[in-house]
Amino acid sequence: MRLDYMARETLRNLRRNLTLTLASILTVAVSLSLLGIALLLQRGVSNATDRWQDGVEFIVFLEPEITDNQLGLVQEEIERSAAIESYRYVDQEESYREFNEDFFPENPEITQLVTPDIIPPSYRIVPKQLSAEAIEIVASGFETKPGVKKVVRATDEIQKIEKATDVIRWIVLGAGAILLGTGLLLILNTIRMAIFARRREIEVMKLVGASNSFILVPFMLEGTFQGLVGATLGTASVYGANRAFEEWLASENVLNILQSFAVGSGEVWGIGALLFLIGGLVGSIGSAIAAYRFLDV
Amino acid sequence: MIKLESVTKVYKGEVLALHEASCDIQKGEFVFLVGQSGSGKSTFLRLLNKEEEPDNGKIFVAGKDIARLRRWRVPQMRRQIGSIFQDFKLLPNKTVSQNVAFALEVIGRPKHVIKAQVPAILDLVGLQTKMNRFPHELSGGEQQRVSIARAFVNRPLILLADEPTGNLDPATSVGIMRLLERINEIGTTVVMATHDRGIVDTMRRRVIELINGEIVRDQARGVYE
Repeated sequence: MRLDYMARETLRNLRRNLTLTLASILTVAVSLSLLGIALLLQRGVSNATDRWQDGVEFIVFLEPEITDNQLGLVQEEIERSAAIESYRYVDQEESYREFNEDFFPENPEITQLVTPDIIPPSYRIVPKQLSAEAIEIVASGFETKPGVKKVVRATDEIQKIEKATDVIRWIVLGAGAILLGTGLLLILNTIRMAIFARRREIEVMKLVGASNSFILVPFMLEGTFQGLVGATLGTASVYGANRAFEEWLASENVLNILQSFAVGSGEVWGIGALLFLIGGLVGSIGSAIAAYRFLDV
Repeated sequence: MIKLESVTKVYKGEVLALHEASCDIQKGEFVFLVGQSGSGKSTFLRLLNKEEEPDNGKIFVAGKDIARLRRWRVPQMRRQIGSIFQDFKLLPNKTVSQNVAFALEVIGRPKHVIKAQVPAILDLVGLQTKMNRFPHELSGGEQQRVSIARAFVNRPLILLADEPTGNLDPATSVGIMRLLERINEIGTTVVMATHDRGIVDTMRRRVIELINGEIVRDQARGVYE
């Protein structure tokens, strides 16, 4: 197989079909950026709601300067309660670590202002019954205990965040998926046009005994190339969107709940890799279908 | 070299293109396939090339049962068979030498081989002075010479010709037939479907006549009718 021939043919096809090629690439790019943004949002929400995992339904935050006596009473209350399935005590050191690592991994200037002794220790509580009323009865029982600063319910925080993001996420994801399908069809059509434009050459190639892969590969490469270029643009715009979000967060001087949505750059690259994979797949599947349907080798 | 054993081909379940056709063509033979349009001549040739599959019967090319060839082996088989047509099937955006070189390029021949073989074959068909012309700048006879050069540049064992003189005037046709004869003399088996009574009658080669898909005559040193 001659690589220079393959590359030349692929490039020639791309040039010949410039407008359709651009349309395919841009559609893939837009659809993949939407997918990427939906994934970013999902990562952000999951970062922001990290402490609400494993069935934790409410958290009893204690005063940082709670006395051992008060702590003992709260603990005793939790252990005695028949409504509580399990609990976990998170001390100040651990809370501090969590605060640094999970919420502000890239903002050392914020974490410098915070020391372990001003962070509240807490009990993370998994109740037996999961109905809102049952949780409310148990949770509110702790609010008035001495040494308790605040009781935060999962329903309050998670629901607020998830409600706000879920609808957006599904719309973005849906639009992305539809556009991705459109991109696939466009690539399929571009390849079909390329095959049609070269039907005489293909006829001669078959006649003189060119191998099937020799006929197929330039078209497959063309489609995959379109998918990958689209993925490159999509990844770039997801990266850009995340950067813009980070800059916006940094410009707010208040500790905002949105801060916890920050997504680390590692995660962004992970999403980028996924987008590349999807883009390449869409391109090769689109061209494979076209080749299978219209090339007849 | 070519052997058909009661081969039947039916198009779309009704049009009978070949019916129980059997024949045996030896290496180096020159065979005319004659018969009216629709008698099955083109189907005969397309079956040898595996462009069509028979509905019944067996076809052997170069000793191999081609129905049992793997899909990816078919191109290898086609490299042993050159084909020419009434309408030449040249690529209009390529020059004469590019058209011929294309046939070698796409089967992965290295550049230095192409560089050596293309001028040699163009010399053989008498087009060495027109290497850089485009097909539309050539006469019909010259275009057919290009297509013969393309079919033969890879030195196939068999040359299949489907009405190669169908678009040419008698004088030009004679030139093309001389060329095919030369190719045959080198040892290439030539199977040519034709309507051209004059050519068949003057050359006196083996004639296989088809009527409605049946071989009705197979005659050494035959005539058209």
